Amino acid sequence: MTSSAIEATGLGQRYGTRWKGRWALRGCSFRIPTGRVCALVGPNGAGKSTLLAQAAGLLLPTEGSVRTLGAVPSAARERIAYVAQEKPLYPRLTVDETLRMGHTLNPGRWDAATAERIVEGGTLDRGARIRTLSGGQRTRVALALALGKRPELLLLDEPMADLDPLARHQLMGILLGGAAEHGTTVLISSHILAELENACDYLLLMDGGRVRLGGEVDDILTAHTVVTGPAGDLGPHTVVESRTTGRQLTALVRPDGPLDDTWQTHAPSLEELLLSHLRSPDAPPLLTPSAEAEPAALRKAVSA
Amino acid sequence: MSAPTLRPPAPGDPASGNPAPRPPAPRGPVLVTVRLHRLTLWALPALLVLAAALMFYQWRHTAAVAADFAGTGCSVERTTQECGDTVRYFVDSLFDLRRYLNYAGLALLVLPGLVGAFVAGPVIARELESGTYKLAWTQSVSPARWLAARLAVPTLWAVALLSVAVVLFRWAQATAPAGLYPLNWYDRLGFTGLGPLPVAYALFGIAVGALIGLLARRTVVAMSLALLAVGSVLALFNQYLRSRLWPTVTAEGKQQYFEENAWVVQQGAVTPSGRRASYGECLPIDLSPCADAGGGLTHFVDYHPAAHFWPLQLVETGIVLALAAVAAFAAFRIVRRLG
Repeated sequence: MTSSAIEATGLGQRYGTRWKGRWALRGCSFRIPTGRVCALVGPNGAGKSTLLAQAAGLLLPTEGSVRTLGAVPSAARERIAYVAQEKPLYPRLTVDETLRMGHTLNPGRWDAATAERIVEGGTLDRGARIRTLSGGQRTRVALALALGKRPELLLLDEPMADLDPLARHQLMGILLGGAAEHGTTVLISSHILAELENACDYLLLMDGGRVRLGGEVDDILTAHTVVTGPAGDLGPHTVVESRTTGRQLTALVRPDGPLDDTWQTHAPSLEELLLSHLRSPDAPPLLTPSAEAEPAALRKAVSA
Repeated sequence: MSAPTLRPPAPGDPASGNPAPRPPAPRGPVLVTVRLHRLTLWALPALLVLAAALMFYQWRHTAAVAADFAGTGCSVERTTQECGDTVRYFVDSLFDLRRYLNYAGLALLVLPGLVGAFVAGPVIARELESGTYKLAWTQSVSPARWLAARLAVPTLWAVALLSVAVVLFRWAQATAPAGLYPLNWYDRLGFTGLGPLPVAYALFGIAVGALIGLLARRTVVAMSLALLAVGSVLALFNQYLRSRLWPTVTAEGKQQYFEENAWVVQQGAVTPSGRRASYGECLPIDLSPCADAGGGLTHFVDYHPAAHFWPLQLVETGIVLALAAVAAFAAFRIVRRLG
């Protein structure tokens, strides 16, 4: 078993007081092995940003725990980079001063070449103050600051939302190239799956403050099948979502053993699979073995 | 001269303009703090120089007028017809200097509150409000070190500049031409600025400003609350507590006691039964409670002689610094939770 980049156990976050609070996250247990590029997807308000902020050590979990790179997040601060959704930067510093700040605050880690490559990819005046930049340019500077730190774990909260398709493509290329080269783990959130589908090999689907799906994209895809056939019993298989049109039934199932020959089957697309899960909040969660938080033996001991 | 080569210049080669790889800077967060607030950091010494220049100009002017006046043979107490304008000019310029001293004393009273508001708002709360703390706290620097750096810079600045300001103020107060309008050590606008108190109040403002900034997380709210907090403590000491910080000296006698340069805290008469009464209660003497069998009134006066200046200053400084330490401790506890 490889080591964990992130491991969450019973993780919960409540905003507000004990009496009038709202749980943004509750009962989250999962694991992301190191070296993966993981998509964190889910609808608005699913708890993605909360999870990322906890992993970055900015929020103390109300309950449960999260460990990043084998330590509590605050102890792994030097090895984690985080870009918040609103791309916070000091508006009165210039681009150059911002990069110099990255150097000053990350002594011994700073990779000026990488940071400058990202900044120079855009039409950016290095002497311009941050507050005069467009949203996309700010994103570029924020990413330069994060990647210049040469992190082992890169946490990105909706990083590409402000970028035009060309810049998105270019920056994704730099991001993934760098990740592959240094073995960086990347956790990147989005509610637009399309921008992540080809880039990520790992997936975490969140909805309503819980993890619904977790694991290798390929394994999750092969665990599901779309079946079509005359309405009937789907036996021992786990049905995620089913629709009946006349006498015809279409369903997304997790097969448990071989499927009956009466069913026509095809592999679902990732988007199809995610939408089916979001439409069916009662479908049981699925974590592949590498995404399970606790060792199996421990879980057995608890349930016994 | 060697022939030019295409070899890339080695780092550290001074001719190439490539700086040698710098050693890790443990003062990194401090440098960033300075860079973020350089405008304010420049403005403060500039203001101090300006204020000092104005004060010095007025002091020199008054000193020159006083010297001229001494040569005219005129006197303020016994003024003759021909001396009228000369005396008025002399008195006016004395009064002008007193006004400048008052302004300076007021500035030394108000500045610590402004320092506190600056720390509470622009330095701390604005980072939390605008979200830049998410940037600052996810570099290789812990929130506690971030806070330490954010407070160290204003602390250093306030201690240095206010110390200079206090020294200048003391000098101006001590060397002002004596006469009708002295600024006394016990005057409300004088006392604070004549000792270490402005520095102590500034440190309190910085600490309580940090605490308020972390709790309020809103720039404007934090600034107002910090100003209120420093102002309240200052007002409390200025109005009620200061005279009680050191035991007063009491004089009793048939004559009203008067000591040069003393701060009279309370005075009145002692009734025959030994009770203290204010002059308001006693005059006219014939009416009780002060009426007695003869021998006249016994006066009393509770006062601080000029020698009490330092004990009073130091006790108040100590209390204010203790409050500052409590606030700083609480502020660091808040950020420590995040590691």
